[in-house]
Amino acid sequence: MAKFLDPHDIPTIPGTEGWERMYPYHYQFTTDDPERAEHESKQLWYYDGLHYPEPHYPFDLIWDEAWFLALSQNNTRTFLVPPANGIDHRIVNGRVYITPIGIEDPEEIGARIPVFTKRAGYYYENWDSLYENWKVKVNGLIKELEAVEFKSLPDVEDESVVFGNTGIGSGYHLLTQYDELIHKGLKVWQYHFEFLNLGYAAYVTFINTANAIFPGIPISTLTKMVSGIDVVMYKPDAELIRLAKLAIENKIEDIILKPGSAAQVMAELDNGPEGKHWLAELEKARYPWFYISTGTGWYHHHISWNDDLDIPFDALRMHIQSIQAGKEVGRPTEKLIEERERIIAEYRALIETDDDRESFDQTLAIAQRVFPYVEDHLFYVEHWFHSLFWNKMRQVGDILSEANFIGDTEDIWYLKRDEIRDALWDYVTSWATGTIARGPSYWPKEIEWRKGVMKKFQEWTPPPALGTPPDVVTEPFSIVLWGVTTDVLKNWLKSVEAASGEGSDELMGAPGSSGIVEGKARVIKSVKELGLLEEGEILVATTTSPSWAPAFTKIGGAVTDVGGAMCHAAIVCREYGLPTVVGTGTGTSTIKTGDLIRIDGDEGSVQILKRA
Amino acid sequence: MGDIDKSKRLTLWYEELLGKDFELVGKKNANLGEMMKSDIRVSPGFALTLYANDLFIIETGIKKELEKYVSSLGEVNYDKCVAAGEFSVKLIEEATVPAIIVDEAGREYQKLCDMAGVKNVPVAVRSSGAVSMPGQMETYLNIRGEEDLIEYIKKTWSSAYFIEAITYRMNKGLGYLLNIGVGVPKMVNSRASGVIFTLNPLNGDRSKISVDVSYGLGEAVVSGLVTPDSYLVDKITFTVIKQNKGSKEIQCIYNEDGSDIQTAEVPEEDRKKFCIPNEELMEICKIAKAIDKYYGKPYDIEFGIDADLPFPENVIILQVRPESVWNKKKELAAKTEVKKTAMDRIVSQLVTGVKVK
Repeated sequence: MAKFLDPHDIPTIPGTEGWERMYPYHYQFTTDDPERAEHESKQLWYYDGLHYPEPHYPFDLIWDEAWFLALSQNNTRTFLVPPANGIDHRIVNGRVYITPIGIEDPEEIGARIPVFTKRAGYYYENWDSLYENWKVKVNGLIKELEAVEFKSLPDVEDESVVFGNTGIGSGYHLLTQYDELIHKGLKVWQYHFEFLNLGYAAYVTFINTANAIFPGIPISTLTKMVSGIDVVMYKPDAELIRLAKLAIENKIEDIILKPGSAAQVMAELDNGPEGKHWLAELEKARYPWFYISTGTGWYHHHISWNDDLDIPFDALRMHIQSIQAGKEVGRPTEKLIEERERIIAEYRALIETDDDRESFDQTLAIAQRVFPYVEDHLFYVEHWFHSLFWNKMRQVGDILSEANFIGDTEDIWYLKRDEIRDALWDYVTSWATGTIARGPSYWPKEIEWRKGVMKKFQEWTPPPALGTPPDVVTEPFSIVLWGVTTDVLKNWLKSVEAASGEGSDELMGAPGSSGIVEGKARVIKSVKELGLLEEGEILVATTTSPSWAPAFTKIGGAVTDVGGAMCHAAIVCREYGLPTVVGTGTGTSTIKTGDLIRIDGDEGSVQILKRA
Repeated sequence: MGDIDKSKRLTLWYEELLGKDFELVGKKNANLGEMMKSDIRVSPGFALTLYANDLFIIETGIKKELEKYVSSLGEVNYDKCVAAGEFSVKLIEEATVPAIIVDEAGREYQKLCDMAGVKNVPVAVRSSGAVSMPGQMETYLNIRGEEDLIEYIKKTWSSAYFIEAITYRMNKGLGYLLNIGVGVPKMVNSRASGVIFTLNPLNGDRSKISVDVSYGLGEAVVSGLVTPDSYLVDKITFTVIKQNKGSKEIQCIYNEDGSDIQTAEVPEEDRKKFCIPNEELMEICKIAKAIDKYYGKPYDIEFGIDADLPFPENVIILQVRPESVWNKKKELAAKTEVKKTAMDRIVSQLVTGVKVK
C-alpha cells in the first residue's frame, strides 16, 4: 500500500507560524527526539474528524486531552487489554490526528490475559449493576458541576469572611472553583471510559463470531440485533414528539406553528390555560433532555437546545407538520422490536451446528448486555455534562472580559486551559495587591492573532490520514467507531490522489445503512444550516449529531466524511431506513450542494452523477 | 368459489388453484397454483380442466367412437397400440372443438392479452396430467391468436394418445381413455433473466441469496454466454452485500416469429448499467426466499423479468430445482471456536484482532 504524507512534512500554513503555542507542547509532531520522530513516522495517524470536523480552539482541546488520558490508561494500565495499549494524539494545523498503539510481543500479550480476564470479567458479570452505579456517579458529578459558581471579585470582602472567621478570600475561591471545574471535566471522562472499551470489545467479538458463521453479514444488521429499544439518545426527540402531540391535543398547535422566536411563542402560550399546561410540560422535558447538543458536544459552540430554544421549536414545528400530514413520526418502537426479534430468529434458525449456535448465543447475549451503555453514555457525558460545562466556562469568560483580559466572553476559547488558570492568577493577584494586571495588555492582541490563525486552519483541508498504513488494521475500536479498515484506507489513498488531480466523481466510504438512493446533495456544515434541507435531498456532512434527528424525516439519505457502522449517522439512518455512506474521507469537499448524487449504502459508494 | 363449482368449470386461472386440485386440472397446473399461493410468482395463465377435455370428447362423439374401437381390438399388442394411437390422434385433431369451449378459452385468452397489453399475446400450451405419465410432455411455445390456441389445445389433448403414453397406461393397467389438463401461461417476454441460488454458492452460507442476471432470455446466463450482473444479498434483511456489474455483451432473444432463439448485441450504454433496477432485485429475492421457505432447503431458480407486465407482476419464476452441491454435503464443521464462556471469546477475539477482508 502506498504511504500517506509523513506527519513531519506537513507544511505550516503561511501566516500561522507559531501556532504550536496554542496547544500543549507534547501534541506536536517533532523531530528533536529521533526515537519519538521515528515512532511518529511509522504509525498510521488518522484525522479524528468523527469528533472534530473543525480545527480546535485552544480551550476546546480539553476533551481531547481528557479522553487521550482516560481511554489510554484504561487499556494500558487498568484493564490491560491484551493486545492494545492506548491511542496516541497529535495536533497539526489545528486538527487532531490519532493512532492506536498495539502490543506486538506475544509474551507480553499472554501475560496480560489473566489480568484482563479477571478485571474485565468482573465488569461483564456485574455489568447491569455497575452501570446503574455509573449513572449514580455521573448524576452526582453533574450536581457538583452545577454547584460550581464564579463571582466577580468584590472591592471589599464581605463581613462574613471576618466574622465567620472563614479565613478564605474571594480570589482563592475563584481560582479553586476554576480548578474544580476543570477537574470535574476530566473526571467525567474517566467515567466515560470506565465501560466503553469493554463494551466495544464485547460488540466486536459478536461481530466476528457472526461473521465466521455468516460470512459478509453486514455490521448494520448486527447492530440491529443488539441495539436497545429504550435508547436515551432518542429521548430528546421523543420528548419533542410528545410535546407536538400534546400541542395538537390541546389545539394550541397553530400558536406554535406561527413564525417567530420561541420566546414570542412561549409568551403567547402563557396567555391561556392550555398553553400554560403545555409550557409546564415543556419545562419538564427541558431538564435534562434539552441539554442535548446541537452538535456532538465537543465544541463550545455546539450549544444545547436549552441554550437556544428556537432550535427545538423549529424541530417541534417539523414534527407537528409531519403529524398533520399523517406521517409516522419518531421511532416505530414496536416495529423495531419485532424486526430485531425476526432477524435474530431467522439467522439463528440457519445455524447448522450446536457449537456455532452456542458461540452465537453467548456473544449475542453479552453484546446485548453492553450495548445500552455504548448507545447511552453519549447523552450523559458529551451532551448533558458538556452543555453545562461550556456555560460554566462562559461565566469565567464573563469575569475575564469584565477585567478587560479578553474583549468578549466568547474570546475565552482562544486560551488553553492552563493559560486561563495563569490569567486568573494574574487577575486575582493584581486584585489582591491593588496593582495593574498584565493580562489586558497581553491577551487581547494574542487572541486577535489566534483568531486569524483559526481562520486559516478552517480553510485547510486535512488529509484523512498521515504516516504509514499497516498491512491490516486490527485495532477493534478504530474499526468499529472510526470505520478505519484496510479498504477504507485504500479508498482514502485513492481520494488523496484524486484530490491532487482533477476532482473525482466517485467516492468510496463504508456502508452505513443499506439501500440505494439518488438525489440532490446538500452540504451542511453546521446545525444552523439544517433548515436549508429540502424534501428528498441527500445530507452531506462531516459527521452528524443526534439532535439532527428531526431532519432525518426529510432527507433521502446521508453521506459523511468520517465514521464507521457504529457512528451516529449510521445508527440514525438505519432507524429511519435511509441509505447512508459513512467515512468517505472527502465527501464535504468533493461534493457540492446541488450536485446530483447516487449513494449506495450497501456498497459504501457515492457517485456524482451531475455537477450543479 | 367452492370445489363443486370448480369441478364443472372448463377453465380455471392459476391463482384459483391449489395443489389438491390436480384431479381437476392436472398436476403441473395445480402445482403452479400452489406456488402462487406461496408467493412464488409464475407467469400468469389459465388451465383447461380435465372436464373440458371430457366435454370435448363427449360432444364430438370421440368418446363413443374410441370406446367402440378399443373394445373391438381384442388382444392388445404393440402394433395395435400404435394403430390405436394414430387413430385417436387423427380423430382428435380433425374434430371441431365445441363452441362452448372455444368461447370460454378465447375469452380467457383475451383477458391474458389485456393484462399484458399485447394483441395476440404469445402463450405456451402445455399438457398437465392428473397422473404422472411419460410421453405427454408436450409443450408448444409462442402460440399466438385464438385460432392457433384452439388448434394447439387439441394437439395437446391428442398427446395423451402418443404411443409412449398409451403403452405406459397399458403396463400400469390404466384405462385407454385419458383426459388431461392443458396449461396456457403467457410466454415470458424476458427483458432480463437469470439464475438464483438461495445460498452463497461459494461457501454454502444459507443466510445469503446469490443472483446472476443479464439482458434477454435466460439462455445467455444459463449457458454462460455472458458475464451477468451478480449480487450477493442477505436473505434475512435483503441487504445487498456485494454487487458486480457484468459486461453483458450479448443477449438471447426470440426470432420475430418466435420459432427459435438468436443472439443480439447489447447496446453499449445498456452494458454499462445494471440490467435491473433495485426494486426488481428485491422482488426476486423476496420470491427466492419464499421458495427456499416453501421447500425448506436451498434452491436453484430460473427467473425472467417480463417486459409486458407491470412491476411486481413482471418478476416471474420459470423453473425451480433443489440446489445440488451444498444440499449433498452432510459433514458439518463448526465455524467458530469452542469456548467455555463469553469472556474467553472476548479475550480470544482481542488477541486475534480483526481481520479485514
